[in-house]
Amino acid sequence: MTHRAPRDFPAEVVENLRLDGKTTALVLRCPGVASTAEPGQFVMLRAGTGNDPFLGRPLAVADLSGDRFTVLCRTVGRGTELLSSTPAGAELTVRGPVGTGFWSARRGVPLPKTVHLVGGGVGMAPLLFALRRLDGTAVGRVILGVAGQGWEGLTRWAGERIPSLDLYSQDGTLGRRGLALDGLPEGLPDEEEIWACGPEGMLRALTKRYPGDLGRIRVALESRMACGMGGCLGCVLPTTSGNRRVCSDGPVFTAEEVLWDDRSA
Amino acid sequence: MTGRPDLMASTVGGLPLSSPVVIASGVWPYDPALWTADRLEGVGALSTKAVSLAPRAGNLGTRVWETPCGMLNSIGLQNGGVRDFMERGLPVAESAGRPFLVNVVMESEGEVSECLAILGGQRERIPAVELNVSCPNVDGDGMAWGMTARSTAKAVAVARRSWDGPLWVKLTPQAPDLAGAARAAEAEGADAVVCGNTWLAMAMDLQKRRPAFQRVVAGLSGPAVFPLALRTVWEVCGAVSIPVIGCGGVASWEDAAAMLLAGASAVEVGSALFTDFDLPRKIADGLMKYTAAAGIESLSGLVGLGRKNHEGGERR
Repeated sequence: MTHRAPRDFPAEVVENLRLDGKTTALVLRCPGVASTAEPGQFVMLRAGTGNDPFLGRPLAVADLSGDRFTVLCRTVGRGTELLSSTPAGAELTVRGPVGTGFWSARRGVPLPKTVHLVGGGVGMAPLLFALRRLDGTAVGRVILGVAGQGWEGLTRWAGERIPSLDLYSQDGTLGRRGLALDGLPEGLPDEEEIWACGPEGMLRALTKRYPGDLGRIRVALESRMACGMGGCLGCVLPTTSGNRRVCSDGPVFTAEEVLWDDRSA
Repeated sequence: MTGRPDLMASTVGGLPLSSPVVIASGVWPYDPALWTADRLEGVGALSTKAVSLAPRAGNLGTRVWETPCGMLNSIGLQNGGVRDFMERGLPVAESAGRPFLVNVVMESEGEVSECLAILGGQRERIPAVELNVSCPNVDGDGMAWGMTARSTAKAVAVARRSWDGPLWVKLTPQAPDLAGAARAAEAEGADAVVCGNTWLAMAMDLQKRRPAFQRVVAGLSGPAVFPLALRTVWEVCGAVSIPVIGCGGVASWEDAAAMLLAGASAVEVGSALFTDFDLPRKIADGLMKYTAAAGIESLSGLVGLGRKNHEGGERR
């Protein structure tokens, strides 16, 4: 895939689906992103064109359809609250698509026989998109883990899209009681990979679970970031090949590349 | 575009600019896809990421933090060193077909001399140098070189001896006597001063109950600092005869116009590009319309007009 630098676009909110108290699915009309985005890539999304909040919020593309794409927005502060409460018909500004996705990050390495997908919370977003591109045949387990109460909407929304979804919640109120990792196979055969996105703790636990297979665990990372174009170096991550940018070198890395112990918590 | 783009052209501090909008250091990556004509509409010149003699890994921990109408950064001048720049950065910078400045970190006198000598070895490929005097003077008291007129003079003198091309000096707004620092830069042969850089600030992480940045302090940029930057530009423009480039929070053509009225010959834009790639074109376009509407012949007619009007050229 040839490299394209992200661009800025207006994006009309086509649908605003408040899934639960804190999770919203935004369907945005934006041909510039929808025509080129790859699973694992994200957008920097801003409400309006004013100066406050100043920066975009990095949100993974969860789905594409025609000239539209979908993101999942979990409210964590004022910026995400503004985005979540943007009604249908209103316009947001988008920088994207940003980053190196699950396919580009392989740099020519063929897809494995089986891919297991494991998401924590709204970290499920890029995996939902990946699932569509994997065309079903190569998909092993698809797992979503959430804290429990308060996540009903996201789990229902994801379940409607993925009939084979294994659902886990820490408090046992949604799906099985437990952690997302509980749904993964005991060992990871050579021809299988795990693609994951979610809280840092989940990803670290994943590396501990399969210490000998880190090259076949591909993680889509989150980070604070500012520019969304690889310029500011605000989102760098220590890796085996030095500091790399989550926004443009990533967000998809192998768990083997990431120096987890040097990464600030 | 409407108006006369040629009227936006000028030569500033030895650098011919097709537009008075310069991309500030620390913003633009060496991504060849971003150094093309269609991605640089309205850009007169670009300043590179900071270049030091040896590679720098940059700071650990949180590096950026949003603030009201702005952001803090504590990147720590991460770069691959001047030799890496020559090999990998320079070919990309050259590919844009427009002027650029290599932003050079004022480290020790020896380091900056060596760094500039390496750049000077390819003098014909490098249009200009922008000296960043916001770094600590490890030869002296550990304060940033740009904090006093005396140490600014020393830094600029060293750079001037090692680099014979256009030399812009990027001042630090932390200097208590910024006008004095600017005068010192001029006296030692700077071709222009950039006024200024990020403003020292901090943030507290309420979740972790500790400062957000490992180094505690960080640089504030964005629209929040614009009025502060405008004030310093006004002061510095009153103190020197060399061109002044206004830098700090510029996020619209109106901000740029205010800087020019205060006496700046050009502006640098930084953080605002994080939210709008198209800002340089909008600024150039807006300035063109503004000057045309006011019946001002060219950009130079705008530079310092606010001072002239204030000083009695025109009664209120």
